[in-house]
Amino acid sequence: MSDNKFTFVQLEESASEHIASPQYSYWKSVFRKFFSSKLAIFMLIVAFSVLLIAFIQPIFSKYNPTIMPHINDRTMKYIRPNATYWFGTDDVGNSLFDAVWAGTKNSLIISLIATAITTVLGVIVGMFWGYSKKMDQIMIQIYNVFANIPFTLLVMVLMYTFGQGMAQLIFALSVTSWLGTAYFIRVQVMIIRDREYNLASRCLGTPTHRILKQNVLPYLVSVIVTAISRDVPLFISYEVFLSFIGVGLSQKEASLGGMIQKYSVYLQSASYLFWIPVCISAFISVSFYIVGQTLADASDPRTHMV
Amino acid sequence: MDDKKVILEVKDLSITFGSGKKTFTAVKNVNFNVFEGETFAIVGESGSGKTTIGRAIVRINPLSSGEIIYDDKKISGKLSKEMDQWVIKNIQMVFQDPAASLNERATIDYIISEGLYNFKLYKNEEDRKAKVDQALSDVGLLPEHKSRYPHEFSGGQRQRVGIARAMIMEPKLLIADEPISALDVSIRAQVLNLLKKFQKERNLTVVFVAHDLSVVRFISDRIAVIHKGRIVELAETEELFNNSLHPYTKSLLSAVPLPDPEIEKSKELIVYDESVHDYSVDKPSFHEIKPGHFIWANQAELEKYRLELK
Repeated sequence: MSDNKFTFVQLEESASEHIASPQYSYWKSVFRKFFSSKLAIFMLIVAFSVLLIAFIQPIFSKYNPTIMPHINDRTMKYIRPNATYWFGTDDVGNSLFDAVWAGTKNSLIISLIATAITTVLGVIVGMFWGYSKKMDQIMIQIYNVFANIPFTLLVMVLMYTFGQGMAQLIFALSVTSWLGTAYFIRVQVMIIRDREYNLASRCLGTPTHRILKQNVLPYLVSVIVTAISRDVPLFISYEVFLSFIGVGLSQKEASLGGMIQKYSVYLQSASYLFWIPVCISAFISVSFYIVGQTLADASDPRTHMV
Repeated sequence: MDDKKVILEVKDLSITFGSGKKTFTAVKNVNFNVFEGETFAIVGESGSGKTTIGRAIVRINPLSSGEIIYDDKKISGKLSKEMDQWVIKNIQMVFQDPAASLNERATIDYIISEGLYNFKLYKNEEDRKAKVDQALSDVGLLPEHKSRYPHEFSGGQRQRVGIARAMIMEPKLLIADEPISALDVSIRAQVLNLLKKFQKERNLTVVFVAHDLSVVRFISDRIAVIHKGRIVELAETEELFNNSLHPYTKSLLSAVPLPDPEIEKSKELIVYDESVHDYSVDKPSFHEIKPGHFIWANQAELEKYRLELK
C-alpha cells in the first residue's frame, strides 16, 4: 500500500443534490392507496351499479306512482318476488322493481345536490371563518343561534312554507346543513392557521384568498372527502325520514322514504314490500360511506409513505 | 462607525402576549441600530425573546409599544398598502424549522415563486421560470427539483429552499431566525456560507437570531446579548468576546464548548446569578460605556465596569 495508489477525484456537488426517488404525484398516490383496498373496490362497484341502475332503469320503466293500470286486477296485486317481477308487486299492482329504482333515483338526486351545495358553501364560508378572527366573532354567534334550533322543526317549517317538492326539499336540507359543515371546516382551518408555513406566506405578502387556496385547501382534501362521505348517506336517511313523517316528497313522487312509509303497514302481510326499499337504502348508505371513508384515508398524504 | 448608514432602528420595543392578569412581557424596552450591509446577531437562551424581536420586524408579532424604523420610515403599526408592499419586498425572513416553514402540499416551484406571484415581479411565464431556476442554482439546488415536494428533501436542502424563497424577492434586509439550529451539524456551514455569499454579492443586511455563540462569532459583525427580553450587552463581535462586561454575557461565553478536551476539562463555568444586581434604589438603563459598546447597568455598576475595562 502506498499513496500513489490513490488519486484525488473531483467532488461533483450537483450530483449529491440529485433526488433518485421517482416523482411524487398526489392524486396518483391517492388512487394507488384507494385501489389497494379490496372492500373499497367492491363497494365502489356496488355504489356505481346502484347509480347506473337508478338513473337508467326509470327511463325505460317510466314509473309514475300516480298511474295504476292494474288497480282493478286482483291477480296482479301482492305478487311475491319471482322471475317476472323481481321485487314483486304492491297493493295497486305496480312492479316494486320499477318503483324502487324510480324512488332511488329521486333520493339520490336530492342527496347528491344537497351534498354539493352544502359542501361548496360550507367549505368556502368555513375557510374564511376559520382564518379570520374578526369573522369568527360574528359567525360563532350566528352559529350558536342556529345550531340550537332543532333541525327537524326548521325543515318542517320550511317545507310547510314552500310546499312539498324536490327543489324545496333540496333547499330545506341545504339551508339547514351548510352551517354545520362550515363549522366543521372552521375548526380544521383553525388547527392549521398559525402553522409556520402560513406565517411564511404572510411574510411574503400572500393575500388571504391565495393562502386559503394554496396552503389551507390542500390540507383539507381529506376532511372534505370525509364530510362528503358522511353527508351523502345522511341526506338519503334524512329524505327517508322526512318523507316517512310526511314532510318530504309528496306521494305523487316516487321516493325511498315515501315508499317505506307507504309499505310499512304491510310489515306483517307482505313484508318484502317494506324490506326491499329499506335494504336498497341501506346498501346505498353503506357503500357510499365506505367508498368515501377509504377515499378520505387515501387522500391523507401520511398514508402515502410506503 | 459614524460613516455607516443606519438601515434599521428599533426604539423602545416592547412586546407583550396575553391580556389582563395573564400578561407576559416577552420583550422589554429594546433599543438597537443595524447598519447597512452588516450582520447583526441577537443571542440569548431559549425564551429570551430573540425570535419575537425578529418576528416583530417582519410584523408577525404586533408591538405593544415602541417603534421600528426601516430606511428612515416607520414600519410598525398600521401601514398604507404601498408601504406594506414596500416593506415586504425589502425585509424578508428565513425561518427556524425548515420542515415546518415549507408548505408540504405545494411544489418547490410554487413555494419559490410565491413572492413573485404576489407582486407580479415577472414579465411573463418564461421570465418567472428563469428567475426560479436562477434562485435554485444560487442556493445550489437543481432545476429538476421544481416539480418536487418539500418532504422529498433533506433538512439542509429545505433550508436552502427557504433561503431561495426569501432571496428571490431581492430584499435589502434578511431576518434569519435561527436558520441552522434545526439542521445537522455537518450542513450548518453550507447554509452559513450561503448567507455570507449573498451578503457579499448583494450588500445584504442580516439580522441573525441564534443561540450558538461560536456560529455567531463566525458570521456576525456586532452582537446583542438578550436576557429575559432585555438587551444586556451590545458590542462588536471581537469586543464582546474579549471585553465582556455583563455577568450574563460572561456566563454565556463560558458555556461555549471548546474543541480541546484538555482545556475543556479544566474550564470553569460561570453561573449567572441575577441577585448580583441591586436595582432597588439605583435604577439601571442602557449606557454606551465605550464607543459602540452598550451595556444595561446602573451607575454603581457602570463605575465597576469602567474599572474592568481599563
